[in-house]
Amino acid sequence: MTEKEKSSNRGCVGCPSYGSFPVARRDFLAIGGAGLVSLAAARGSRIAPAEAAESQPAFPVTDIAPLADIAAGAEMNFYYPDADSPAVLLRLPSAAQQGIGPDGTIVAFSLLCTHKGCPVNYRADRTILICPCHWSTFDPSKKGSVVIGQASEPLPQIRLRVMEGVVQAFGVDGLIYGRHTNIL
Amino acid sequence: MTRVPLPPPTAERRQTVCQFCIVGCGYRVYKWPVGKDGGPAPGENALGIDFRQAQPPLGTWIAPSMHNVITERDGRRYNVAIIPDDECVVNRGLSSVRGGGLAQTLYAPDRPTKARLGAPLVSDGQKLRAMPWDAATDLSARVVKAVIDRWGPDAVGMKFFDHGGGGGGFENNWAIGRFFFSGVGTKNASIHNRPAYNSEVHAAGDAGVGALTNAYADAELADTILIVGANPYETQTNYYLAHMVPNLNGDSLSLKRQTFGAEPVDRGRMIIVDPRRTMSVATAEAAGGADRVLHLQIEPGADIALLNAIARVILDRRWHDIAFIERHTERQTFEAYQRSTLAIDRPIESVVSEAAQIAKIPEAQIYQAAEWIAAPKTKGYRRRSLIHYEKGLIWGLKNYENVASIVDLGLLTGNVGRPGTGISRLGGHQEGYVRPAYPGGRPALNVDEAVRRGEIKVYWVGGCNPVLTTLRAEAMEAAFLERGKPVHAALAATEGKPVGARVAAVVEALKQGGMMLLVQDIYLTATARHAHVVLPAAQWGETDLTSINGERRLRLYEKFMDPPGEALPDWRIIANVARRLRQLYLDDLNPKMANRFLDYDWRTNEDVFIHARYSFKGDNKDPMEGYAGVTYKLLRELGNNGIQTPTRLVNGVPVGTVRLHEDGRFGTPSGKARFIPAPLPWPGYASKVAKQRERYRFWVNNGRNNHVWQTLYHHQLVPFFQDRFPRPYLEMHPQDAAPLGIESGDLVELSNDMGKVEAMAYISDSVKPGHTFMLFGQPRGAVGDLVSDHVDPATTIPYYKGVWADIRRLRADPKLKETVSFLPQNIAE
Ligand code: SF4
Ligand code: FES
Repeated sequence: MTEKEKSSNRGCVGCPSYGSFPVARRDFLAIGGAGLVSLAAARGSRIAPAEAAESQPAFPVTDIAPLADIAAGAEMNFYYPDADSPAVLLRLPSAAQQGIGPDGTIVAFSLLCTHKGCPVNYRADRTILICPCHWSTFDPSKKGSVVIGQASEPLPQIRLRVMEGVVQAFGVDGLIYGRHTNIL
Repeated sequence: MTRVPLPPPTAERRQTVCQFCIVGCGYRVYKWPVGKDGGPAPGENALGIDFRQAQPPLGTWIAPSMHNVITERDGRRYNVAIIPDDECVVNRGLSSVRGGGLAQTLYAPDRPTKARLGAPLVSDGQKLRAMPWDAATDLSARVVKAVIDRWGPDAVGMKFFDHGGGGGGFENNWAIGRFFFSGVGTKNASIHNRPAYNSEVHAAGDAGVGALTNAYADAELADTILIVGANPYETQTNYYLAHMVPNLNGDSLSLKRQTFGAEPVDRGRMIIVDPRRTMSVATAEAAGGADRVLHLQIEPGADIALLNAIARVILDRRWHDIAFIERHTERQTFEAYQRSTLAIDRPIESVVSEAAQIAKIPEAQIYQAAEWIAAPKTKGYRRRSLIHYEKGLIWGLKNYENVASIVDLGLLTGNVGRPGTGISRLGGHQEGYVRPAYPGGRPALNVDEAVRRGEIKVYWVGGCNPVLTTLRAEAMEAAFLERGKPVHAALAATEGKPVGARVAAVVEALKQGGMMLLVQDIYLTATARHAHVVLPAAQWGETDLTSINGERRLRLYEKFMDPPGEALPDWRIIANVARRLRQLYLDDLNPKMANRFLDYDWRTNEDVFIHARYSFKGDNKDPMEGYAGVTYKLLRELGNNGIQTPTRLVNGVPVGTVRLHEDGRFGTPSGKARFIPAPLPWPGYASKVAKQRERYRFWVNNGRNNHVWQTLYHHQLVPFFQDRFPRPYLEMHPQDAAPLGIESGDLVELSNDMGKVEAMAYISDSVKPGHTFMLFGQPRGAVGDLVSDHVDPATTIPYYKGVWADIRRLRADPKLKETVSFLPQNIAE
């Protein structure tokens, strides 16, 4: 084997192909079965969120706090998009994915764990959100990704923006626990 | 906006069990045509839940990951929702991160799972091309026949799954085992990632102790749970969360009182033997308090010394179960065990201090563990300890003696066959082992070596990926390339010719050292890319299958959708080849061989299930998986709670077995258990391993984790999982990483005398300095490339955990650093 082959991505779909005989796409198509598609065709595809065809009520816009009041290390509870949906705004020590504010450190998340819905706690010294029920943990700087645990969805991130010096919530990425749609 | 469609009251319902780990959690499947969704009012949806309001915590919810849209063979599209079953006693409505994503693994022509294999393929020398089933079956059968006729049955090599769950189960295992063992008759057989066809727990078998002895309820009843070489929060998740945690946090106290009457009970304790501080340790402490959890953070290979030292303390304190030993064990084995394994001629202090030094743990922890396992409770009641072990021990220093040391500890303390006890594997995948006996002896032949030596002429690999997971994997892949070439050339040269000419050309290539590779799988795996013929198989949910979980709970995993394209259940692929072989031998006027392939005319999955039920006999006529009287109809009626094997007929009705050995009988001719003495309290490292250990700086512990299953065959196609671990991670202690300039998210290279592999650094104090941990079997970095070809000579089981390597930084990967979380994976509070 060449050095290049050794370090290549064996069996990894979406990675450069490897091995002696890559599958030819046309051969799959030729036999006409549904979905018989080559690895190359699968490369780069991503699962789209389960969007409903019918139109949806829009998210409300909710003021959370003046930007100037959100101090370093801030942790503020609020409800969004309705009074049954607890959420938390955090100002993290360093920039986060989808963070807002001058240094991109302000983020907000649904507090309901996407495993079975227990409210998560924020541990500031580790910058991690922890569910007390079965210990799913979420990274607020990485779009609520599941660090480890039994939740099979990231923690829904609340979309934030600053309007005239006030931080506002105006949407949610992901489905809030216990709902079939975010706006009931 | 994200939303999930709700199943209408008319949705089809099916019972199933998760396809992934040993726990076997029950799930409910709902299927309904696209466009026919239910509504949020309780009467408008199949769950009967009022979705007009948010569900309370611990309620029923369809997470987006639990839903998918599939397309059947006739082109019709359906919604499928797969949610955890509240009524299943195994998981009690809990999903894990893996089970919660079951719906994402379904074949869908408009999603990444469209990569599924849907037609048989044959090499044209350059590429794999589609081929009709009849031709693929005929070619496979003729090559197998030619090899048997010219070189004998042992020149047919096989490597297949024998597990439950996934695409495995009783039906497929029976068909495959019957074909290779009774039909072909080869001794060159192997399973999973192993180089041979062997039990991983021969020592338990020799002791007469089953592999899976306890009921999951025993974890709620035990005084102490001992976990050796396993990480149950991550890899036996809902057994841990639904049955062990309630014991640690006191939720099961009322059940204990109810079960044990006057016997004193308390919240449970847990001892975890693991070189890493895993999430299991962290969560056990969070559930039970740090004072009720003892973590023995040992050095590699120290398990035997540790367990034998604990046993020695128990013996010296006279905490062993004398009544049990006298009634239920063979006396002379107990004497031999005390003399050699426990070294009773040596002072206890020297045995304990030697073990503490090997394991690099305080001596006090050894005494404490002995006390927690066996010191009598108040009023003189015996302590109930549930003893669990898995790959840390099984794939350890010396497989046979490792397993013997824990089974012996269990026998010494009488911890088997009573509520709250057990000597049991925790398990990895589910089970469903029904096969005729392996025709070879013990130790089983090493098939990897037979491949490299050229003795295997046709190698049939099914549902296994040796290129990623076998030991010394680079050398195996090199053999596939090298020995595959002449066969590819023969197939290229005879394209379009009659099958007779093609087979003749292949046989010529085999004579020149070639090897034909047949791969039967659901995806074009790294191994399948080297294949000459690829046979597409159906997976979980695409055909009815049965399996057992870690407490032997047998259930029916119902079909709820079509396999892609022309894919077939594994048993049917095998049966088709068997029937073809029979005809070829009849044409040859060779009735003796033809009769070896008789009775493959099964019409349904249940035909295979029933055939196996009547024919399968394990070691003791009452094998662990025996299922007298069980039918699909019964399993449908029993739903996701099923029945625990072995079953026996009482007045014609099958009755299950909650725990093994409750009748005091063990699987030996005398019916008494045997201690398995080892020559010394600790055997030391084999020379090949010792050399690698001296030469390279870091120990590369390796195994599974919470998020991803096995070789990622499904999970690399699901963004949630793929995005979490786009590359296998390597946990490194900060003290080791800093001087090498390595930070989390950097790409590093591991290298040793076996090969090289890349990983993504994940700095963590879960590992001790000098130790590392890497995710095993990954397509973008396979630890198998570093595993030496040393095996335990007694069992042919490798020392997969015994890898040492050097590590260097390659480069930073800014994308990984930006998108992947490197927060610690062991914080619970
Ligand atoms: S614990 Fe195991 S069986 Fe249960 S849902 Fe998770 S992976 Fe599946
Ligand atoms: S509810 Fe959060 S981990 Fe289970």
